[in-house]
Amino acid sequence: MPNLLEVRDLSKRFTSAGGPFRKARSMHAVNGVSFDLPEGRVIGVVGESGCGKSTLARLILRLIEPSGGAVNFDGDNLLAKSPSQMRKLRARMQMVFQDPYSAIDPRYTLTRAVSEPFEVQNVTPKKPMAEEVADLLEMVGLNPGLAASYPHQISGGQKQRVGIARALALRPSLLVLDEPTASLDVSVQAQIIGLLEDLRTDLGLTYLFISHDLSLVKYFCDEILVMYLGRVVEALPETAAPARHPYTRTLMESTFEPDPKKRRLIAPLEGEVPSPFDLPPGCAFADRCPNASALCRTETPVLSTETGHAVACHHPI
Amino acid sequence: MLSVRDLGVAFGAVQPLSGVSFAVGKGETLGIVGESGSGKSLTAMSVMGLLPLSGGRITGGKVEFDGQDLTKLSERAYRKLRGGRIGLITQNPMTSLDPLKKIGPQVDDVAKLHMGLSEQAARARTEEILGTLRIPEPALICERYPHQMSGGMKQRIVIAMALAADPDVLIADEPTTALDVTVQAQIIRLLDDLVKERDLALVLITHDMSVVAQTCDKVVVMYAGRAVEHGPVETIFDRPRHPYTQALIACIPRGLDEATRLTGIEGTVPTVVNYPSGCPFHPRCPRAEAICATDPPGFSVEGDSAAACHFAEVADAQPA
Repeated sequence: MPNLLEVRDLSKRFTSAGGPFRKARSMHAVNGVSFDLPEGRVIGVVGESGCGKSTLARLILRLIEPSGGAVNFDGDNLLAKSPSQMRKLRARMQMVFQDPYSAIDPRYTLTRAVSEPFEVQNVTPKKPMAEEVADLLEMVGLNPGLAASYPHQISGGQKQRVGIARALALRPSLLVLDEPTASLDVSVQAQIIGLLEDLRTDLGLTYLFISHDLSLVKYFCDEILVMYLGRVVEALPETAAPARHPYTRTLMESTFEPDPKKRRLIAPLEGEVPSPFDLPPGCAFADRCPNASALCRTETPVLSTETGHAVACHHPI
Repeated sequence: MLSVRDLGVAFGAVQPLSGVSFAVGKGETLGIVGESGSGKSLTAMSVMGLLPLSGGRITGGKVEFDGQDLTKLSERAYRKLRGGRIGLITQNPMTSLDPLKKIGPQVDDVAKLHMGLSEQAARARTEEILGTLRIPEPALICERYPHQMSGGMKQRIVIAMALAADPDVLIADEPTTALDVTVQAQIIRLLDDLVKERDLALVLITHDMSVVAQTCDKVVVMYAGRAVEHGPVETIFDRPRHPYTQALIACIPRGLDEATRLTGIEGTVPTVVNYPSGCPFHPRCPRAEAICATDPPGFSVEGDSAAACHFAEVADAQPA
């Protein structure tokens, strides 16, 4: 399959303004991230809070302007596009947000929420709008009878379905899913994941799935990128590939199985996550890593991609 | 150590909790698990005697701690127990700490109040406890304010406060939900060690079946304010007999077992004002029949576990 999305060396540096009592500081929220997303595949980006995964999602859609790098979507270099060209392209690349409670205007009926993309993009649907909305609601497993309801009248899981219906309104080819189930109960999470699986097959969608939950990513995705403090530290070409980066290993050992026979021995983890404003030289994980050597504290390991299973570590497992 | 029997709670005319029973002994971890709105936190509040704060009252049942019935305790006597012999760890460490007060004095207060220690003795104790929680340089941490610390570190401080008066029972209400996975694993390990080293009775409230599988000895599954199944953790995961328990387990993605498709539970948790008649789970239950809508099921006991389902007897071994 051809690549739908190609991300090259994408970076974002945020700077906080200085003031009378503090110096201006800057941090690399996303640092040199590269990957290819072939059509029809699902890549998961996993990492803990502050690792830059949500920033990465926003950079790809240019909701935030990157500081450097390139994003190619279906052959178009997004960073060279004007705002109006970008707006047109966004019809084909949509995002589903983490918090369905704040992603939908509380004063909009579901009909208005789901038909808004047509307005914004100035697209006339093929069918009458009411039918189009009913189809979309049905597609995400909602009763079209809810069309006149307001967000406060429906549950969190139903709101997230509306979020998905809205993202699908203009029939995009790429969906960026930013922790779409993080604020939902497990039973509802499983429903939403099932829906996303079905939509992927039925509509031939390509997903970039952002999550902090490694077991969910392993279940749902084809490939996994593991991020730590702005960098991709490991790219697993398939979910069953054994972890080679000590951080990925730590993540896996911190994820429990729903089976008392598979209890894990949790090794105490030394040290704290360093401040992104004040990263130590060398590997950012060195202070918490059991395998760290002197080299790790001086030289930043690069992501080596020779074997197809890329890992940024001086002493991979 | 702590046993709850047939607990019922009402707020005015609504009855969000009824017939909840469990017991936890020294050196034992009991998990209370269910979706949001199932009454887990309310159970914790009832045990802590905090219901009057929000206008609720206990309508039936017993909460026995060390031989005395807590439901008959005066507020004055309760105050001695709370934070003293029964410690509480809440979900959000960000809101359990006073943002304007340094860490040291916040933890000191517990030992001063409950153990009558002097300023110096309390501080010595605080530093000792922080040390046992693997917090580096306790003396330095005592001088910090909450905003200067990470979420995981704050949760450790909240645990330190709960431990300061050397409790017999610890109630942890979603202690790791707001934390990153690696931090969650560390806190779980810490709680496990505490239960073993101090012979604590731990009640762990969570919505996460994989946390239950990892740490608990026994488990109570709650739905719509009722206990629907309880028993030893191995039995419950090996052979869940209540359809709700089976469904909860099937919701959790399992590592690499791709053959099993994740199945959600249709519908949503009912709210207090519209608890269904009969079995509260029947509108969402794949096995429901006519009787489920009319008759509340009793517990079907098998060995040391029990499930409140009309069809628990015929439940197939269905380890999701």
